[in-house]
Amino acid sequence: MAPILQAINLTKRFGGLTAADSVSLDVNAGEVIGLVGDNGAGKSTFIKMIAGVYRPDDGEIRFNGQPVAFNGPRAVRDLGIETIYQDLALAENLDVGANIFLGREIKSRYLGGLIQTVNRPRMLEESATTLTRLNIKIPSLTQQIRNLSGGQRQAVAIARTIHWNARLVIMDEPTAALGVAQQHEVLTLVRTLSDQGVPVILISHNMQDVFAVSDRIVVMRRGKKVGEREAKKTTPDEIVSLMVGAEAVHEMGVIPRALSGIQESL
Amino acid sequence: MTVDSADRAPAESKAPTAKHRRNRSENLVLVRKVWPWIFLVALLATFSIASQQMNQVTFLSFRSVQGILLYASQILLIGLGETFIIIAAGIDLSAGWVLGFSSVIGAQIMQSLYASGASPVVTIVVGMLGGTLIAVVPGWINGLLVARVKVPAFITTLGMGFLVEGVALIRSGGYPVAQQPPYLGPLGNGSLLYFWPGHGFTFFNLPETATNADFQSIIPLMPNPVFVAIIVAAVCWFILAKTQFGQHLYAIGGNFEASVRAGIPVSRVLIKAYILAAVVAGIAGMVWTARFSSGAYNAGEVTTLNSIAAVVIGGASLFGGEGTIIGTVLGALIIGTIQYGLVLLGVSPFWQYVAVGLVVIFAVVMDQFGRKLGK
Repeated sequence: MAPILQAINLTKRFGGLTAADSVSLDVNAGEVIGLVGDNGAGKSTFIKMIAGVYRPDDGEIRFNGQPVAFNGPRAVRDLGIETIYQDLALAENLDVGANIFLGREIKSRYLGGLIQTVNRPRMLEESATTLTRLNIKIPSLTQQIRNLSGGQRQAVAIARTIHWNARLVIMDEPTAALGVAQQHEVLTLVRTLSDQGVPVILISHNMQDVFAVSDRIVVMRRGKKVGEREAKKTTPDEIVSLMVGAEAVHEMGVIPRALSGIQESL
Repeated sequence: MTVDSADRAPAESKAPTAKHRRNRSENLVLVRKVWPWIFLVALLATFSIASQQMNQVTFLSFRSVQGILLYASQILLIGLGETFIIIAAGIDLSAGWVLGFSSVIGAQIMQSLYASGASPVVTIVVGMLGGTLIAVVPGWINGLLVARVKVPAFITTLGMGFLVEGVALIRSGGYPVAQQPPYLGPLGNGSLLYFWPGHGFTFFNLPETATNADFQSIIPLMPNPVFVAIIVAAVCWFILAKTQFGQHLYAIGGNFEASVRAGIPVSRVLIKAYILAAVVAGIAGMVWTARFSSGAYNAGEVTTLNSIAAVVIGGASLFGGEGTIIGTVLGALIIGTIQYGLVLLGVSPFWQYVAVGLVVIFAVVMDQFGRKLGK
């Protein structure tokens, strides 16, 4: 089966700096890809080219076999590639239903469309259906987002992309600001998405998370893709040494001190 | 250039349990929603007792309730437009001056039409429409500057206030624009209904069979300006609470960036909101013109800040995303009650400002208090 997304030799330069250098990636249906790398490795640049935020200087993106011309983030979203950024883009003062339908509210028409109102009951109903489909439990959908936990907010953001038929979801550090239990919920949700055939690209610093949900792990370093491993056939140590550069580990003979934090979390 | 932020503070790590949260958020809603009602009732009770004790005047009479409503109606009208703007995290400091501007322009249209021999009815209809619609211009410019040029609303509307005040002054020479057609005064000072005990109701006019001696016993119900304010409030409520435009205003005030990313046409929504606020100010200007049978550049001089006060008392947040029409109605009623009540008690009108100021500060304190409970 052909990959859903093919990124072929994507390159992005900012002045003299090559932030992403000929990076290629195939994403298949139902796959979770962990995209890892140190700060400045080029993960965000690479993702933003896929999301239509940056125009690649070189290379090609194919979605379902079709080349994707650069047309900005809206066009990419319309294709079904949804990116969930760290800030989630939820309106905290609105309820769950209103956020899932933000900007695309369901309307009731009266007097031949002369008067149109927002159909809140139906928005809540359809939100509930989507949430159920993803096994997300939120006590009350009429709650304002500000009263939800971080994990629940993340779930609402994910549910929103799914409701609008996302065919590929990119998540930028989805668990970074969450407590342990909520991290677990979000990871379960990532798994649910892929089980339903929606591939996920997960950007994360957290090795534990990456190994918990990924099928494949892609490592970037200094703008280049330096490794691609099946999660089952690799170890956190190998991934970390790819992240910092195998030579560095060899030279020092130990994991550098800067990475001891990651080491402890393994 | 790639920035991967790993060094974010774990903002949610201290999240309390879900149950805890819900109780507190219920408190938040309760405190912020209920206190204006209690306050209004307490205010009415205080004034009733005080006026009975001090002046042997019954405060809660039919006439004084209508007096309060009349006092409140202009604040309410401006406050309605202001509610839309404040929910979208803006502010309109020009509203009161747009009121005066509309009043001058509308009155001048009527003055010249009537002088050139047009019938009073045509004159009044054309003048009122013209005076109301001219407000679209400052509203539209406000919206353009705020939404597209990204000038802060505070500065834009402050400047626009001076601008329309100046234009109204230049056009009127600073004098009231009088020589208005007949019917205008009766329209502005009449009532929707007249009740003549023993004879029944009539609409708009005093009963024709009544003589001067009967007028004392006829009770006017619902002064026309109040009626206009209620209609406009109902329309505004519908727009804000029920339409997509209203929903988008809340979204923009709640999270501007998210609204942009969700594909809400943010600029268009904001421009519409500023035009709407200005048109409502225009309507208020025409109501004023009818009440006083003249136009004046400073007709809404003190109304802007009073109406912003009303919106804040009604539970709107100046940071955007919060506020309701019902809240603004309550806020306007509270300010109207204070103003009317103090006059009735024979307190110097200068004290009104002190009282309104105290209530506004109290409202913000209650808001902060509610927020703390909700955290």
